[in-house]
Amino acid sequence: MPSWFRRPILSLLVLLACLGMPTLALAHAALNSAAPADGSVLAAAPGRIELVFSEPVSPLALRLVGPDGAARTLDRFVLKDSTLVISPPAGLANGTYTLSWRVVSEDGHPVGGALVFSIGAPGGRAPATDEPIDRSVRLLVWLSRLGLYLGLFLGCGAAASRAWLGPLTAGAGRFATAMAVLGLASLPVALGAQGLDALGASVGAFAQPAVWKAAAATSYVWTVVLAAAALAAALAGRWLPGKAAAGAGAASVLLAGLALASSGHASAAQPQWLMRPAVFLHGSMIAAWAGALVPLAFALRGQAGGGALRRFSGGIAPVVALLLLSGTVLALVQVGTPAALLATAYGRVLLAKLFLVALAFLLAGFNRWRLTQRAEAGDRPAARLMRQVIAVELAVLVAVFGTAALWRFTPPPRAIAAAQAQPASVHIHTLQAMADVTVSPGRAGPVAVDVVLMDGAFGPLPARELGISFSNPAAGIEPIERRAQRGADGVWRVDDLTLPVPGRWEVELEILISDFEMRRIRDSVVIRP
Amino acid sequence: MKHLLALAGLLAAGPAFAHVTLETQSAPVGSTYKAVLRVPHGCKGAATTKIRVRIPEGVIAVKPMPKSGWTLETVKGKYDKSYDYYGTPTSEGVKEVVWSGGRLLDEHYDEFVLRGYLTRDLKADTTLYVPVVQECEGGAVERWIEIPAAGKVADDYKFPAPGVKLTPAK
Repeated sequence: MPSWFRRPILSLLVLLACLGMPTLALAHAALNSAAPADGSVLAAAPGRIELVFSEPVSPLALRLVGPDGAARTLDRFVLKDSTLVISPPAGLANGTYTLSWRVVSEDGHPVGGALVFSIGAPGGRAPATDEPIDRSVRLLVWLSRLGLYLGLFLGCGAAASRAWLGPLTAGAGRFATAMAVLGLASLPVALGAQGLDALGASVGAFAQPAVWKAAAATSYVWTVVLAAAALAAALAGRWLPGKAAAGAGAASVLLAGLALASSGHASAAQPQWLMRPAVFLHGSMIAAWAGALVPLAFALRGQAGGGALRRFSGGIAPVVALLLLSGTVLALVQVGTPAALLATAYGRVLLAKLFLVALAFLLAGFNRWRLTQRAEAGDRPAARLMRQVIAVELAVLVAVFGTAALWRFTPPPRAIAAAQAQPASVHIHTLQAMADVTVSPGRAGPVAVDVVLMDGAFGPLPARELGISFSNPAAGIEPIERRAQRGADGVWRVDDLTLPVPGRWEVELEILISDFEMRRIRDSVVIRP
Repeated sequence: MKHLLALAGLLAAGPAFAHVTLETQSAPVGSTYKAVLRVPHGCKGAATTKIRVRIPEGVIAVKPMPKSGWTLETVKGKYDKSYDYYGTPTSEGVKEVVWSGGRLLDEHYDEFVLRGYLTRDLKADTTLYVPVVQECEGGAVERWIEIPAAGKVADDYKFPAPGVKLTPAK
């Protein structure tokens, strides 16, 4: 029957139904089959989508939700008997799609459902876009961090080198002072930038009290206080006599380590007994190594060079060993899996930093094994070459500090994984039945659903079958239905489910108690982006 | 198309035509009722091979009608209480009726018949629901067993049990 002819008849039938004609025995339409099948994975984008119903239908709404969560209306379709053939849009990218359909059949009763299929591989949901980034605030945060690192590592480190290499030359002393002053000047900027970042404010709001209040509420304020003490100790050494100056320098390096260990995501990670000492050691050893380079280079210019170099090469091995050991611990905990090295921004920053560190070690090794013996023996050209290599090494280390300061903007894979795995759950409580429904992870994309069923009095509910459906009326997605499997532990589970968009999803459980008894309970659960 | 959609919207709250239904939609209590179960479809296209009917409490003296090509069985048991059947106390009888072994294609229609006495213990002005399980080839099952909660109608459910409206005794 041509469709132009069927429609008036359909309308008439519907009208008669409305009048309550008792002899009419029409039925709701039901979906008999679909191609692609629900839950299937296709090698390529389907040229057509076929829905076969139990009787002729007219579509009311057809929506296709893509892997990016965006929905589009499908308006190219053909009705053939009780089959609805839809032409999907061209150029569908790989990922998981949800086709939500709502149709009306001859009894005038609308019915709906949803069909999930994947092209290429399941998932592929584009990562949720971050909130807009204020680049000037980020630059301010980064610059102030770098300034602080230079102050703590080079300023405090140079001050501490008095305890190790001997008194500073005049040039090295001026350098240490300049670095410590730079560090002190960076502190208020770093704290203010922290406040701006915490509030999501722009640079123009720098002077507002709210910004500073916000900054004071973060753990970063402890870093600022301890760093100020470290830098002050480094500066004080300049005006103190020999032994006291060396002591103040050593104390400043330890304070610098404490300052770094009191905030930041590495320090906040579990296990705390391991991570905070590791950050402290890592920071102090960087200061000891990097800070000693400039005084050493200055010393190599004069007569005291041989002695300072001997003391440096005598003590550097344990410093580097502790540096590498603590760095390895931090990287292992923070990155977690080797795959995260390339897959996350944090991992890529680490790789860049490791590359630069390797370069610095190459230069250091060249100095150690090629030049040290000759320079110690008073070979002037060797000492001059060593000073030049140290200058390059220092430049590389500053690049390392700059790279490490980028970590401020990249949550470590450990934290990303923990946040993403967080499940969403709902407790459905009715007199007939109760259920604990857990969706993990609780974010849009492929999920697993666990259901623990109980009767109205928290006792076990012996169910024969469990059907679960998820619908999202706000996003126009009709119920996606799945049959749960009962595990050995009595927990019902659905594995092959994809929730295409975040938001509030209606959950309905269809609990079959016996052949002739069914209980239906429903509630809603919020799925994160 | 627009007309149809508007009508469809109107009808969302209209009369219910569920899959398996009873032909006679109302009957007085204290009378014998001939239940004609109409089966318009298989299960998702598969042919029907078995129909099981749960006899609701308060319906006694049940006699199913044999059907050519189908094996008829009944499951008997005790009722929750003793009912009065024209002066005879009756406390046990048919609780489930099963037609099996037939093959009703999805594109065909058939009816299954039984009769029973609607006791006066049933409340008039309520709906009596008769849960039906439809089994099909390939292990498919459709269970028309959902009984609407207070304030709901059969249309609010996906698998409503067929029902008959009870009227006061004549």
